[in-house]
Amino acid sequence: MARRLKDWLEVRIGLDDLIRTQLTEYRVPNTINLLSTLGFVVLAGYIIQVVSGIFLLIYYVPHPEHAFRSVQSIMSSVPYGWLFRQIHVVGSNLLIAALILHMLTVFLMGNYKRPREMTWISGAVLLLLALVFGLSGYLLPWSQLSYWATTVATSFPTAFPFFGDFVTKVLRGGENVSGITLGRFFALHIAILPPIFLSLMVFHIFLVRRIGISATPFGVEDEEKRPLAQYIKKTYPDGNPFYPYFFQKEMLMVMVYCTVMFFIITFMPTLFLPEAANTPADPFKTPAHIGPEWYFLAQYQMLRLIPNKFLGISLQIILVGLFLSWPFLDTYKEKNLRKRPVLRGIFLLLLAIWVVLMFWGR
Amino acid sequence: MRHLFILLMMLFTLPSIASGGWREEMEKAFMSAPWAGGQGESDVCIECHSSEMMKPAFLAVVDEWKTSWHFQNNISCHDCHGGDPKDSAIAMSPQRGFLGTPKYLQVPEFCGKCHIGILKNYLESGHGKALKASGKGPNCVTCHGAHNIQKANIDIINEQRCSKCHSYERAKIMKQALFLTEKKIGELESSFGRLKKQGVFTEEGERTLFSTQAEFRTLFHTVDVSLVKERSDDFTRKLSLIEKEIQDTFVELRFRKNFSTFMMLLFAGMSVVTLLLLKTPRD
Repeated sequence: MARRLKDWLEVRIGLDDLIRTQLTEYRVPNTINLLSTLGFVVLAGYIIQVVSGIFLLIYYVPHPEHAFRSVQSIMSSVPYGWLFRQIHVVGSNLLIAALILHMLTVFLMGNYKRPREMTWISGAVLLLLALVFGLSGYLLPWSQLSYWATTVATSFPTAFPFFGDFVTKVLRGGENVSGITLGRFFALHIAILPPIFLSLMVFHIFLVRRIGISATPFGVEDEEKRPLAQYIKKTYPDGNPFYPYFFQKEMLMVMVYCTVMFFIITFMPTLFLPEAANTPADPFKTPAHIGPEWYFLAQYQMLRLIPNKFLGISLQIILVGLFLSWPFLDTYKEKNLRKRPVLRGIFLLLLAIWVVLMFWGR
Repeated sequence: MRHLFILLMMLFTLPSIASGGWREEMEKAFMSAPWAGGQGESDVCIECHSSEMMKPAFLAVVDEWKTSWHFQNNISCHDCHGGDPKDSAIAMSPQRGFLGTPKYLQVPEFCGKCHIGILKNYLESGHGKALKASGKGPNCVTCHGAHNIQKANIDIINEQRCSKCHSYERAKIMKQALFLTEKKIGELESSFGRLKKQGVFTEEGERTLFSTQAEFRTLFHTVDVSLVKERSDDFTRKLSLIEKEIQDTFVELRFRKNFSTFMMLLFAGMSVVTLLLLKTPRD
């Protein structure tokens, strides 16, 4: 039966050719390591989010009067609803963590350098989209935690004179976070962002395959030869076949990702769902201590520390601009960060500041 | 490209420094916003009663209220005393329902606006009848206090308090009759606390417990020991149902933990197997 199905597909799509060119004969550099599998981990994480999200969508009611109850019903009445919600909640945080780690390793290995500028930009936009995914999904349970964290996060644009208030009003659909905000964030979370994210991810993978996977610079010479005047696909005739060698490494990391996810669900089930996540949203009752999600804490703390609000938000936009356009700003040939002490110093300083601000903002 | 970026950065940053405000403005607009932990709407009752112009006796009222059970449950001055807390000009206007301080005899009706069931039973009790007959019987404040009112518990019945008016013997029998049911209520409350810490939504269960408790305490205000003893079995049955639900939830939580542990071990095992199967071209 399997043989007949394979033959049927072979005639119609050239399955053998596809497997040969894309898996067994597609070679990756010998120097590639586990850090290069993080992109695949993000892809797997996204699939987990989509599947668990679809299950939640069956029972979730996007209305201020029913949203909280429907989520609690998923947690207590729907068979294994708790499992899908925990996977979705913990998975969303792990996905963002994996994306940040992926960007960091790409930066450390200098794999953003030309001709991979577009690969970097698409990856950076994917990270920003993942943050918007997180923000929009955070409001949906309509709990005290989600309501007030969203109030804080959507107030960031008010730092802008002239059009800041307008941006916040557009995000919220009014002066305050309300049922209209819930509707907007729900549409954003389940209908607008997923196809954009998926398309960008496909484009990102296409670029990785089209240009050729980048070799790690540790211990090898800079692979790019100047000038780059025409398209050259980077191939590794002496490299290892993608399947099974690299694919196994990717699968190993996905298993580790799932192990970490279930470790958190088992031993720290309230890490992302504290008591305020089990209290219905009350617009008239401001909690004493509120803050946004961990991945917005550094930005939040930065805004609180800088006395000039507009300067604070401007600095953040400049940092995002720097992050997106970094491949065009760093035009040195050398990929190995160990041979670039100044850049290494700045990177470590920024990383330390980010971590300190994040913990300070809690 | 780099020069263009630096130029854009300058264009962006310079006007921001020029047009922005300073720390005070920032704190007013951002840090003191209600969502940043600041106070929301002002309450003129609190403002005046905290100001220096207030008599010392009235000055302590706000601090006492802040330690109370009412404060913890968002019951503010105007909820009991009436008036308009948003406008100082009409805050104490009778047209706005301002009642002021009730006279000793009026206290039960004053508290009974909210505690309706308790008022009825109190008025039928020896305490209520004594107040009505002589104007000297105990009212709500005698046992519960006024602005620093705490969450009611069985320890309110004690020799020091009760023997101010009569011998403690009768009150002691009442306390014994209440003890087991009150103990069970306390245990269930702490169980709900533990469930909350484990991320369980307990509002519905807590509401049932609260209404059972309120009903029981309403009954106590009759100060009728035989009636309390007679009805205790009903309350014990109701509390047992709540206890069963709590126990079922703990069982469910244990199952969840075991299930996710199994999943974690499954993936950890698959990680180890994949690691062992990792191939290199030399294999």
